[in-house]
Amino acid sequence: MGDGNSNGRRALEGVRVLDLTWLQVGPQATRLLATFGAQVIRIEWREHKAVDFIRYVPPFAPDHANKDGGRSQGLTPRGRGIKGNYDRAGYFNNTNPGKYGVTLNLNHPKGRDLLRRMVRDANVICENFSPGQMDKWGLGYADLRKLNPRIIYIQTTGVGKAGTYKDYVSYGPTAQAFSGLTFLSGLPEPRPPAGWGYSYLDHSPGYFGAIMLMAAIRRQRLSGVGCYIDMSQSETGLMLSGTSMLEHQLTGKPTERYGNRMPYLDWSPHGAYRCAGDDNWIALSIQSEPQWRALVEEMGSPAWVRDARFATSASRKQHEDELDANITEYTRGCERYELMNRLQARGIPAGVVQKAPDRFDNDPQLKARGYYVDLPHSDIGTWPIEGFPAKLSGSPANIGGQTHRASPKLGEDNEFVYGKLVGLSDEEIASLREEQVI
Amino acid sequence: MNPELNLSRSLNGVTILEIGDQMGDYASMLLAGLGAEVIKLEPREGSPSRGIGPFASDTRDREQSLYFWRYNLNKKSAVLDVDAPESPPKLAALASKADIVLLAGEYEIVARRLELWRKLAEENPRLIVCTITPFGLDGPQRALKTSDLVQMALGGIMAVCGYDPNKDGVYDTPPIAPAMWHSYHLGGEYAAVAMMAALNFRELSGEGQFIDVSVHEAVNTCTEVAIPTWVYSGLVVKRQTARHAAPNITHARLSRSSDGIFMLASLSPFEREMRALGQLADEVGIAHVLGTPEFAQLEKEDHVAAAIYRQDLLEQLVESLPADELFHRAQKVGLAWSPIRRPEQNLDDPHFAARGSFATIHHEDLGRDLKYPGTVASDGSAPHFSYTRRAPRLGEHTDEVMERAFTR
Repeated sequence: MGDGNSNGRRALEGVRVLDLTWLQVGPQATRLLATFGAQVIRIEWREHKAVDFIRYVPPFAPDHANKDGGRSQGLTPRGRGIKGNYDRAGYFNNTNPGKYGVTLNLNHPKGRDLLRRMVRDANVICENFSPGQMDKWGLGYADLRKLNPRIIYIQTTGVGKAGTYKDYVSYGPTAQAFSGLTFLSGLPEPRPPAGWGYSYLDHSPGYFGAIMLMAAIRRQRLSGVGCYIDMSQSETGLMLSGTSMLEHQLTGKPTERYGNRMPYLDWSPHGAYRCAGDDNWIALSIQSEPQWRALVEEMGSPAWVRDARFATSASRKQHEDELDANITEYTRGCERYELMNRLQARGIPAGVVQKAPDRFDNDPQLKARGYYVDLPHSDIGTWPIEGFPAKLSGSPANIGGQTHRASPKLGEDNEFVYGKLVGLSDEEIASLREEQVI
Repeated sequence: MNPELNLSRSLNGVTILEIGDQMGDYASMLLAGLGAEVIKLEPREGSPSRGIGPFASDTRDREQSLYFWRYNLNKKSAVLDVDAPESPPKLAALASKADIVLLAGEYEIVARRLELWRKLAEENPRLIVCTITPFGLDGPQRALKTSDLVQMALGGIMAVCGYDPNKDGVYDTPPIAPAMWHSYHLGGEYAAVAMMAALNFRELSGEGQFIDVSVHEAVNTCTEVAIPTWVYSGLVVKRQTARHAAPNITHARLSRSSDGIFMLASLSPFEREMRALGQLADEVGIAHVLGTPEFAQLEKEDHVAAAIYRQDLLEQLVESLPADELFHRAQKVGLAWSPIRRPEQNLDDPHFAARGSFATIHHEDLGRDLKYPGTVASDGSAPHFSYTRRAPRLGEHTDEVMERAFTR
């Protein structure tokens, strides 16, 4: 949707969010709030162990990239990140567009006082510290609510702040394993689970966070009340485990994996099939008899399809291993996109297993919809940022948010936030900086 | 606790009409869990998602679809053929009292139905009309044929999930689409985000709007470092067994506890985790050199060898204890480890019971209750999503819905 001027048509106009989160799950939620126009203030501290870890994980912008350039300056030599510089990380840049960035030392009493002052004028505060850390600082919900009864306080942790395992530690992959999502992904036993190639439960709980926060913000606008939300990544995993737990309760049977097949519908063949080239695959999802006949025709009606084992969808489903082997004999010689286009032209659900370069450089649909958004960063220049997956006619999504930028540099907006928004004088800001408070 | 604080009723008074297929079930159920009234308008033969298994009985009865049960909690069902020529006046009456209309399904069907809703939105400018389609309402590939698997392929999640390549770096196994309809989950979550944004905007402006959700884009947003790794460094991440895809194959391996359960046991590059690994090894009685000057020297001279040493020690630990014991002992020293559980192993877990994570839903036909995952948060007294009613039978609320539509 571009960084187009939203002309004041922001769904979250006037909403200020204090964002103390780090890594992925919290920043994902506030990314969405910024996209809809909230003033999101990312609060970090400059000590290495307090800086968002994502600021020093690869990929990095190439060392030669500067504020007047960006991706257009080319990708070689490969960026390594410059030691001690937290402002060149690509994934951080992708996760935190549209946000303001300040530094604040919460271990300093004056830092905590400054946060309290900011809470008075804020709508939302988000954190994902270890459970209990904010209470130790005297900044828990009970404390902050006294300062601002309308405040919405959300904490996101792996297993939740309440409950038997409240002190347990968890990253996205831990929560995926615990909740059952890792088990569900992969080929049948005795193969091990394939799990997820990333922290799915650092993402979906972020979307849930945004849903709940926007529900809470709307209610705050209408009736002036705040709330406390103790959100957990593992519970999100349970929500996403489909029908598996219902089926188990009714049959008593343990859940099984089924790879890319479709046991819940009479669909077959159904899977990923090898194409020409290095690790190239196409997904086929045959859902009806006409689609099967069209596939047979496209394959040139080979002799094997006349075998009784492949006569009906039910019999094909019983012989899926042989079926898949036969189909692979056909697909392995085909260029993957040509095959997809030929099959789609016959009305067959087929799609290339797209890798990142396919999706970024070539996907005609993403291009036409303007999915990737170029945004500037104050040090590394202009880079494409992943967009919001919907177009809204009245209050458009705007990945650049209020800042019209990609991510903030560490402490980039101290003057604006502490001066303009909080109302501190230049002298006060200078002295707080000297005292290592900001 | 002040009942006003219960977020699960925050959409009380919001009415949603839902029309279409399985791409819309989850989005509207999320808003139903926050208190919205969701009315599903179904054709005489029922919504397509009533045909998705597994089924509660051996027959593929449209009232027995566990898929439909799962994704239609708290909703009402009215039979109305929205495509019939005599339906527009009925739909107009319903629309005049609705806040949101959700249209989900293939492009051609949704685009055709949308024409009527554009007119009805002119009569009710507060109306929010949200479409969920596989690829969005415009663009050259908007009408591609699809399924959850095809969306997971084109959207990029499949390419980063699967198994390690063989010793020669060749993949013998296909990329894997994690099971259980995640393209619909992603499309649904983003649709819920967008609908919440539109409700918020309406409180400010009094205006409704149109929302065009693309499931393809929703899947694309959710591949973590895959796109940034390509965009910033020109490298392609490779899929690996039960761990993060990365430009190179990492050396971590999946190992089993002494009772044969696969464990998620890994180390993040934090000092405290390195220490915790040594502590757990001490407690279990496995000799090691972590924390010694020799190991510090190795770390300095050969970072990779040090990492392999730690990984070997980790595997030795995993193999020495049963999964459940390992889980709790590792967690006690601060290691974020967990057994790779089957989903149903959580049904009776005390932690989720204490948090009220499951909604207990009565099924009178079965003469029993079923537990449904029902929330992602707790505030100590009430969950932030709340589900109390089973999915509706086809047409269960037709009279109620139509009567109300035609009374002032």
